[in-house]
Amino acid sequence: MSKDSIKMELNNNQIERYSRQIVLKEIGGIGQKRLLKSKITIIGLGGLGSTTAYYLAGAGIGNLKIIDFDYVDLSNIHRQILHFTKDINKKKTESAFEKLTSLNPDCNIEKIDGKIVPKNIESIIKNSDFVIDGSDNFSTKMLINDACVKLKIPFTIAGALRYHGQIITVVPKKKTTCYRCVFGNITEEASGMSCSQAGVIGVIPGIMGSIEAFEAIKYLLDFGELLTNKILFVDLLTNQYNYINVFRDVECLTCGDNSNINLMDSGSEINDKC
Amino acid sequence: MSQKNITELDIKGKLCPMTFVYTKLALEKLKSGDTLNITLDYPPAVENIPENCKRQGLAKILDIKQLKDDIWSISLEKI
Ligand SMILES: [Zn+2]
Repeated sequence: MSKDSIKMELNNNQIERYSRQIVLKEIGGIGQKRLLKSKITIIGLGGLGSTTAYYLAGAGIGNLKIIDFDYVDLSNIHRQILHFTKDINKKKTESAFEKLTSLNPDCNIEKIDGKIVPKNIESIIKNSDFVIDGSDNFSTKMLINDACVKLKIPFTIAGALRYHGQIITVVPKKKTTCYRCVFGNITEEASGMSCSQAGVIGVIPGIMGSIEAFEAIKYLLDFGELLTNKILFVDLLTNQYNYINVFRDVECLTCGDNSNINLMDSGSEINDKC
Repeated sequence: MSQKNITELDIKGKLCPMTFVYTKLALEKLKSGDTLNITLDYPPAVENIPENCKRQGLAKILDIKQLKDDIWSISLEKI
C-alpha cells in the first residue's frame, strides 16, 4: 500500500469488474485502488487457502503470493475450490495459479513451490501487507505467528475440522493477542488435528477461508472490526457462532514484554491441508 | 480561500448501478465544495444517484432538471 495508489486510474473494465465493491460506502474507487496496490501472502492452498485466494483475487488484490509444497489429490477436491478433477497430481501452486490468473488478470500471482520453514519464511513474507494462514497444523501456524509478530506484519490464522472452525486476527503493531498467547501450550498430538483422520465437511474451510479474506480486506482499507483479541468459534452442526475474548500474555514467548523470537524454535512440519 | 470547480460528467447510456459508480468515482476526484454536473438518460438513476449520495454522505443535491424527454441533469456539491 502506498500513497501513489490514489494517483492510478481505474480503467473502464476495472470499474465494471469492481463496481459492486466501489458502490460500497467503505470501499469506493479509493479503496479499490488501494486493494490493487496491496500484497498478500497465502500460506497453504488447501480448503482454507483456496477459498481465501479465490475471494482475494476476485476482490482485486493486486499481488498475491501463494505457497504450497503439495500435489492435488482426489480426496482434496470436495473442499479445495481452486482444484478440479483434471488437476489431480498437479502441483497445487500450478493449479491455483491457472485458476486465479484466469479469474482475474489484474491479479499478479507469484507462486512458491515448497514448504514454509523457519529458514525461508521471513524472506517470503517480508514485503507483505497481510499474511493468511491456510495451513492445517499447529507447528506451521505457530511459525507463521512468530514470523509475522517478529516482522510486525498483520495476519489471520484459521482452522477447520469436521464441522467446526476457529479464527483469530493478529495486528502486531497494535500488540493484539497472538496465536501463541492462546494456544502456546497445546502440542501437535494433543491438538488431534488432521483432516484425513477426523474428516471435514467441505463448507467449513470455505466459510473460515472467506472470513480470512475479509479480515485482510478490512485491515487493508481500515474499516469495520477485526477479529483481534477474540476468537470466533463456528460450529455448523448446531449453528453456534461464539466469540471468546482472549488476552495478551505479557510472558508470551512470541509477543511478551521480554520476548526474543527465535524462529528455529517454532517448528514447521506440514501435514495434509485441511 | 479555495477555488470552487465545476466538473461535467456525461453518463448517458449507463444503467444502474453504474450510474452511481461513475458519479462516486467522479466525486472522489473533487474537493469539498466543488460542483459535479451529471447528464444522464436512465430514468431510475434520477432517484438513485441523489439517494445513494445522501446515504453515503458524498454530496449535497443542488438541482435536478429534466432537459428533454429522456435527458436529465443532476447538480451535486461534494461534501
Ligand atoms: Zn503472544
